[in-house]
Amino acid sequence: MNIGLDVGSTTAKVVHMEDGEVIFSKVVPSQRWIELIDDEQGEKNIVSTGYFRKKVPHFAAITEITTASLGARYHDPDVQVIVDIGGQDTKVIDLRNNTFVINDKCSAGTGAFLELAAHYFDIPVGSLGELHSQATKGAQINNTCGVFAISEMISQLVGGFSMEEVIYGLHQAFALRIAQMVPPADTVMLIGGTVQNTGIVDAVNNMLDSKIEVPGAPQLVNALGAALYMERLNDSR
Amino acid sequence: MKETVGITALVPPELIYACGKRPMDVNNVVPESSLSPGSKLCAWTAIWRDMILNGGLDIDSLVVVAGGDCHNALVDGQKVELSGMPTHYFFYPFDRDTDYLRSQLDKLSKFLGGIKDERMFSLIRDLKSKGRALDELRVNDRVRASDVFSALISFSDLAGDPDAFEKTLDSVPETDVEYSSRVALIGVPPIYPDFHETAESFGLHVVYDELPYEFLRLYGSDLNSLARSYSDYSFAGPIKNRVELIKDELQRRRVDGVIHYTQFACHHTLEDEIFREHLDYPILTVQGDLPRPSPEQLKLRLEAFAEMLEVKP
Ligand code: SF4
Repeated sequence: MNIGLDVGSTTAKVVHMEDGEVIFSKVVPSQRWIELIDDEQGEKNIVSTGYFRKKVPHFAAITEITTASLGARYHDPDVQVIVDIGGQDTKVIDLRNNTFVINDKCSAGTGAFLELAAHYFDIPVGSLGELHSQATKGAQINNTCGVFAISEMISQLVGGFSMEEVIYGLHQAFALRIAQMVPPADTVMLIGGTVQNTGIVDAVNNMLDSKIEVPGAPQLVNALGAALYMERLNDSR
Repeated sequence: MKETVGITALVPPELIYACGKRPMDVNNVVPESSLSPGSKLCAWTAIWRDMILNGGLDIDSLVVVAGGDCHNALVDGQKVELSGMPTHYFFYPFDRDTDYLRSQLDKLSKFLGGIKDERMFSLIRDLKSKGRALDELRVNDRVRASDVFSALISFSDLAGDPDAFEKTLDSVPETDVEYSSRVALIGVPPIYPDFHETAESFGLHVVYDELPYEFLRLYGSDLNSLARSYSDYSFAGPIKNRVELIKDELQRRRVDGVIHYTQFACHHTLEDEIFREHLDYPILTVQGDLPRPSPEQLKLRLEAFAEMLEVKP
């Protein structure tokens, strides 16, 4: 069995693979990553990734740049660009020339930005997509800095926009920030837990000329890539 | 004791020594500094400026490289001049005009009190060929890049003492370097003092350091030959010449990938797109600000880049 363990800043995920097929997967909050480890398995079949990759049991630890590339290609061998929207950072990988950029300097364009907004409205972050779909237009949010975007959001609420319209506008600001990092490409795959928010996918889709792909279980792509790497290591052992 | 002349970027050190003075590249103290200057764009200039203003750098005069290089240095250099420091401004031509550079060298030599010891030209030329031999050793995996870098970066001032510096060069240990990929480091030098060690810890062997190589490539045995050689200083001239020079070195040194280091608030950052368009290699761009041990963000990028080059996912 090949195990991929992705312990990120907010959630921990595990994927078990056998003969190239996913046979098990699970997601828990990061602090509870221990629940994903089976003592009997030991660490000899685990490739870890994510923020805490070197702190958890592993046979090899690799970065999410590599796991995202492997995981995304598993879903679509021809994908050109991957956008991995994490809790604390966003990574854009161009598979055509093996280059990547990481935004980890500001919260805009990361899961933390949306957490902040959801917290302000006192709603679960998972409901942002549903609220987005109820709006037909968005309130303009110009600031890409997470903190200032919140104060701009408040001004728009004061100005008469509904919560749904403000969320729609927020997703547009988020997508714009992402779009600035993405090179022109035919296919762009969005991965990471944040992508489960359909409002984000909709906004990015409207912003980019590329074909946008979202794999099933986008939050598991890095754990999947780690399991695929374990498979490679086992094959070469 | 010889008078010490601070230099803010590449100024022919052979000329300063020939004028009987000792150069001190004020940048060389920055990576080890823990200052956080209040007024700053680029930390390199802000830190040497504050160190000079606070008396933390023992120099008698300052030569600011302004033309063709750095406007932050031009402004911060003037702040130093206004504090009473004897200061001279040195300008490289953008168009490689040798006559212009010759006139700049004449003015500089006058500021430094005139040439007194011509032998320094050939002495330093010989040291530079020794430096190039050391550089070749690392291309052939015989010396660690971190050891070579710290030697080569000091060629801008020969550490203030050519004899002692020669001994430092001779003492760089030979070893079989093991690595997973060969990379080039282009752009201004990283402000992180352990950059090369950090790269090595991820299996990256830096086989080309763009700026320090310029220190070795340019030399001369009198003012005319200095003018001819230094008018080719690639950082001061058109970027297309620099790109061609880099391309040749990347090929000759058989690199797998390129790391472009950029400095916060430095105009050279804008060159990134040009390199990405013209250099046909995987490129990692990183940015530094204040001098500190390599931060986690840098380590993540280097580790991921090393994986990209090795694992080829
Ligand atoms: S890094 Fe850029 S801004 Fe800073 S001193 Fe060097 S050239 Fe000037």
